[in-house]
Amino acid sequence: MNSFFALFPLLIIVFIALAVLILEVFLKRENRDYLAYISLVFLVICAFVCIQFWNKAYYYFDGNLLLDQFALFFTFILLLSTGFVVLLSMKYISLQDVNYGEFYALLLLAVSGAIIMVSSPDLLVIILGLEVLSISSYALTGLKRKDELSSEAAIKYFLLGSFATAFLLFGLALLYGASHSTGIPTIIRYFNTEADLSLMALIGLGLIVIGFGFKIALVPFHMWTPDVYQGAPTPITAFFSVVPKAACFAIFLRIFYPFWKTAFDSQAIFWLLWGISVLTMVVGNLVALRQTNVKRILAYSSIAHAGYLLVALLAQDNSSLVFYLTVYLFMNMGAFAAVIALSKKDKEYLELEDYSGIGFKYPWIGVTLSIFLLSLAGFPPTGGFLAKFYVFSSAVRQGLVPLVIIGVLASLISVYYYLRIIVHMYMREPSREVDIVVENPALFLVLFLCLYGVLQLGLYPRNILVLINQAVSLL
Amino acid sequence: MIPPNYFLILSIILFVLGVIAFFIKKDLLTMFMAVEVMLNATNLAFLSLARSANSIDGQVIVFFIITVAASEAAVGLAIILLVLRQKKTIKTEDIKLMKG
Repeated sequence: MNSFFALFPLLIIVFIALAVLILEVFLKRENRDYLAYISLVFLVICAFVCIQFWNKAYYYFDGNLLLDQFALFFTFILLLSTGFVVLLSMKYISLQDVNYGEFYALLLLAVSGAIIMVSSPDLLVIILGLEVLSISSYALTGLKRKDELSSEAAIKYFLLGSFATAFLLFGLALLYGASHSTGIPTIIRYFNTEADLSLMALIGLGLIVIGFGFKIALVPFHMWTPDVYQGAPTPITAFFSVVPKAACFAIFLRIFYPFWKTAFDSQAIFWLLWGISVLTMVVGNLVALRQTNVKRILAYSSIAHAGYLLVALLAQDNSSLVFYLTVYLFMNMGAFAAVIALSKKDKEYLELEDYSGIGFKYPWIGVTLSIFLLSLAGFPPTGGFLAKFYVFSSAVRQGLVPLVIIGVLASLISVYYYLRIIVHMYMREPSREVDIVVENPALFLVLFLCLYGVLQLGLYPRNILVLINQAVSLL
Repeated sequence: MIPPNYFLILSIILFVLGVIAFFIKKDLLTMFMAVEVMLNATNLAFLSLARSANSIDGQVIVFFIITVAASEAAVGLAIILLVLRQKKTIKTEDIKLMKG
């Protein structure tokens, strides 16, 4: 239905981002927590609006903003992870001295960009949304202004990110030249009907894949990822590991799912993605083995998970891709929540050595972090196991056996470094003095919700699978 | 009149030059300028393609890209300034606290 209601989720988020920016001026520094509460309340309202719109399919701006169920499901995922990030940052930002009002404003603007991305079928609008997301992300990375690591991470992210944007835009230019349009349906139709494809269109599509590959951190475009993840404030790292990935994979689904069905022989693109997927799984997991910083381990682990997600894309199984993303959101947010828990005033414990003996000293953190790590490694009965199982079994059904063998071997390798953290927590004597701030109810709420999500999706995923199937059936 | 395709070829050359400059330059500001060259090459490509397709869309898109480049410059220059203030240098070989 053509209606300006389609603007509501975006308007709420952007309005509250700007309101937070203004309110910050009138609040005392110790009262900054209110900004977090306000952001949370409006995130919840926005999520509620998304639920209300589920069957309505509102669109606006000639269909360039389209709230179908696919867009709404992804918007919901994005809002949920942003809500988690806000909860995680409440204590963190005052402990680590990044307590600026801009923090929440930039976070909300970033997620508004991601929402624009997932709710548009036009590549130009998608890339503009990606820019809103990216530019806010650059600023968020460098927000620890006194920390040299943080600004170094920001400059690396900025340079490589804008480099990728230029690739995306040039790819779009070539696609526009070939198909005379920037809308995904028209571009697909062009690929479908044109008998002799121009080289221009293929190169354009390749450049688009490269550009999104940078943002998702696929190997060989992943160089920035570990540094940025290490340098950024930890809740922001958690944000980066979920939100841009989810949004970019939504775009991949929108582009490539209809693409596999076209008459055009898509072998070149298929093998390009196949190679990237193998490289991402193998390199991500192998390099993670020799990391000693927990944030860097999680960075390489998130690279490897992008590889598994690509397997799902190649297997043309939308619902298992979206299911994997949903599970990944819970387990990754949970793991980062536990990492954030291990911090005190102006100090974070991020080295593997610091984790020695943590499991007995802080049992709650130890147990939950172990479960999230096991889920990331893919042990039953957690959601991580089911997600990997769905992805790999549908890949086998599609006849991608070599890819599945590589994927399973890669995830076997990953077990080593996930278990290494658990071994440190439970089987090593404490080697360093670690004392943390324990009173942090918001963080424990996130730990609990993520634990619930991981176990619920692992033991009884039916309800969510029904929703996912409704959402992807529209593609 | 010069055919629009010539401009497309020029834009591709500019884009490739930008990519090369991004990789061989050892200075944050110059690398950023290389990215700007790439973005402007994209503008030129859009203009020439819009001309040869006889559609106005490509010319409108250029305005969006200019806006993107401007906002990127605002944030990027602030970040470069932050690095300069902390390290007193913007040479890439001095920025190596972390090894990707």
